[in-house]
Amino acid sequence: MSQQSRLKQLKLEELLQRDVWDVDEDRHIEVLNQEGLPIKALIILCPMGCYSMAGDKLLMSYEGCVECGTCRVLSSPDKIRWSYPRSGRGIQYRYT
Amino acid sequence: MRIIVGIKWVPNTQAVRFDPETGTLIRRGVPSIVNPHDLPAIELALRLRDSAGGEVIAISMAPPPAVKGLELALGMGVDLAILVTDRVYAGADTLATSYVLSHTIRKIEREYGSVDLVIFGQETIDSSTAHIPAQVASWLEWPYIYYVREARILDNKVVRVVRELEEYIEEYELETPAVLGVAMRSLKPRHVSLSNKIRARFEKKLIIWSNNDLKLDTRCVGLKGSPTIVAKTIDMPEVPRRKEVYKPRDARDAARWIISRMLEDEKLRELLQRTLWGVKS
Amino acid sequence: MRVLIAMVRDRFDIVIVGAGPAGCTAAYLLAKAGFSVLLVDRGRGAGSKLLWGGKAYAQPLRDIWPELDREAPIHRWVSRDRFSFVWGDRVLTLEYKLGRKVAFTVYLPELVSWMARKAESVGATFIDEVVIDEIIVRDGVVYGVRSGNDIIRANVVVDAEGINRMLLEKLGLASKPNPYSLSLGVKEVLSLDSKLIEERFNLDKGEGLAWLVAGDITKGIPGGGFIYTMRDSISIGLVLSIGHAADMAEKGLLKEHVSSLVESFRLHPYFRVYWREADIIEYGGRMAIEGGLSYMPKKLYTNGLLVVGDAAGLLVNTGYTIRGVDTAVTSARLAAETIVEAHNKGGFTEDNLRAYEEKIKRSYIYKELVEHRGIEDVFRDQFFFTKFPALATRIGAKLFESDYEEPSMLRALLDSAREEDISILRIIYKLGRVARKL
Repeated sequence: MSQQSRLKQLKLEELLQRDVWDVDEDRHIEVLNQEGLPIKALIILCPMGCYSMAGDKLLMSYEGCVECGTCRVLSSPDKIRWSYPRSGRGIQYRYT
Repeated sequence: MRIIVGIKWVPNTQAVRFDPETGTLIRRGVPSIVNPHDLPAIELALRLRDSAGGEVIAISMAPPPAVKGLELALGMGVDLAILVTDRVYAGADTLATSYVLSHTIRKIEREYGSVDLVIFGQETIDSSTAHIPAQVASWLEWPYIYYVREARILDNKVVRVVRELEEYIEEYELETPAVLGVAMRSLKPRHVSLSNKIRARFEKKLIIWSNNDLKLDTRCVGLKGSPTIVAKTIDMPEVPRRKEVYKPRDARDAARWIISRMLEDEKLRELLQRTLWGVKS
Repeated sequence: MRVLIAMVRDRFDIVIVGAGPAGCTAAYLLAKAGFSVLLVDRGRGAGSKLLWGGKAYAQPLRDIWPELDREAPIHRWVSRDRFSFVWGDRVLTLEYKLGRKVAFTVYLPELVSWMARKAESVGATFIDEVVIDEIIVRDGVVYGVRSGNDIIRANVVVDAEGINRMLLEKLGLASKPNPYSLSLGVKEVLSLDSKLIEERFNLDKGEGLAWLVAGDITKGIPGGGFIYTMRDSISIGLVLSIGHAADMAEKGLLKEHVSSLVESFRLHPYFRVYWREADIIEYGGRMAIEGGLSYMPKKLYTNGLLVVGDAAGLLVNTGYTIRGVDTAVTSARLAAETIVEAHNKGGFTEDNLRAYEEKIKRSYIYKELVEHRGIEDVFRDQFFFTKFPALATRIGAKLFESDYEEPSMLRALLDSAREEDISILRIIYKLGRVARKL
């Protein structure tokens, strides 16, 4: 690859293509009640961009989650149900 | 009831990245997974065993790292897992693979007793031929039903199978032994259990057979036994996906939104005009 | 007919939750001491959920595995430590050349895979792909662990669950995580030929560099950047205070997604020359303890339970070094010692396990933690990650970017301080405060 193209700011979607998941059918993180959640913070700080707005509804796409816990720290169990994917599924880091 | 379930340890195709500059696939560091189509097959085998009694034996022909996949099957509750591995099996196409698998099943019958059902996932994500279940059935001269969604044991020798085709549902009753190909996502696979994993480890439920055990003619296995010739492969460049979520009021609103979004894209607009509305651009 | 032998294994002397550096160390030492040990991890193979590639200190690991230098998956022995202040395009860099093999760069998944194999080689049972949902306590005594419907009994449970302490929180031993005690690390792995790495970073074969960066790369969020040279890749990223970043995002002071901050760091003109043709081969994020004592749970032991590693809040962050791997390993060694002693004393009661906390308090980890207590506050101080880099690079600009007349160093300092609106007394006071905490 040429040098030029590597010195280009990549979009988050392009960065996500570098990673591997074995996505579980079961959703391991779920927004239960978005009332009072720091929505802007969740959208900006989730490193994988799992949080987004659809109209006025906060969506969490668990498929690209790396299970880091940042959204857990920024919320509470009554607002976001948070668990780990089972059976070894979820993010599969290769290098780290 | 003795049920065999076939498992393939495949590269996680989601992880294969395309290098647009060199035009090749980047396979470095791609981890493997149990072929996702095999998970409902394992689930079906376990449900049949749980209802009718007996045991489930998982088999896989693969290099040694595939033990990870068999361990997952053991974790789900399979009673025994057999990895069939030998250098002479390397480079096998579907014919040579099904030959080895059918002889593995014959050997299981000699060692453990008669087999009633052999269950496979319909196809694999890395090659998508869907040959294996049909070929194994053919080698064993057993009946074969594919696109199976459900199965139920009626009595000792009869199984009722539901298969779903595009426009209708068929039900079969067939005498065992038989081979089933399970449709993708037909059943939700159960999770790995800690007790199952511990039991499998302590009771040494994972065994390895080589060609010393199967004693197959080396001309019929591996590369030598594979008549398939891959003439040419073309890598399809990956299309970047743009995900959007829209909560429609109703179906009409959803359709309107999808069409309007598609019309915003030049290429999609062209495609729509050509196909949907028959307009030449 | 095949005979099914019902041999259900549902009890172990020790169950360890989490196969990170702490869990693997505890498993190794306890299995070696003759206990039946079950080590459980939720990932697929040890380390598949670990995002960490950086500098690990060798001696605490050598204390357990003298064969470390020869056998462990070490990438490079750190021979240079760098620190940079960045303000815009201007950068001030300090470099220290080390005299001996103190620390090495390593990818944690590789290191813990090696440790897990070591544990298995001495008889520990390692089970992956399993989430532990609960540590079961009956009548005030740890009974075992639960995963789904499965219960495995244990005389002692070692909690090495890591930074997300769901199990400890359920037990009431840890409180809800405080976002101001935690950082978010976001990183990229860049693939680069090992010879190019050595050429560009002035390294001999097998030597490595660790580089910490402070300044406006974090866009005003308390935190900093890191760069580690691996064998044939480079690990770069940012560490950002979650509490402060969240506040800024909510107030509209931070609008960019964190991935874009990391990309800007990768493309910063001063840094990008090191890896200009490197491909990004992995991207990810994890949380890290900010340091100090603030993340330590109320208690590190109860009847039949010990807490080790990140779960115990044992990470030392001095600003110039971050020690989490060796502290995790050492805490696990002290936990294993305590368990052996408690066994000899006749039981794993709270009284007999209390020695663990005492051992921790006598160890270098705790001394460091106390020594650098409050360092988090220093890092959060706007002065340090905004004013100071700005001042340093402004002085640099005056000294080195003058077209005609060059000012004296004192004049450069005084003028810069005035332009940045900082009093000299304040600089001296702040520096004195840092010197005490570092």
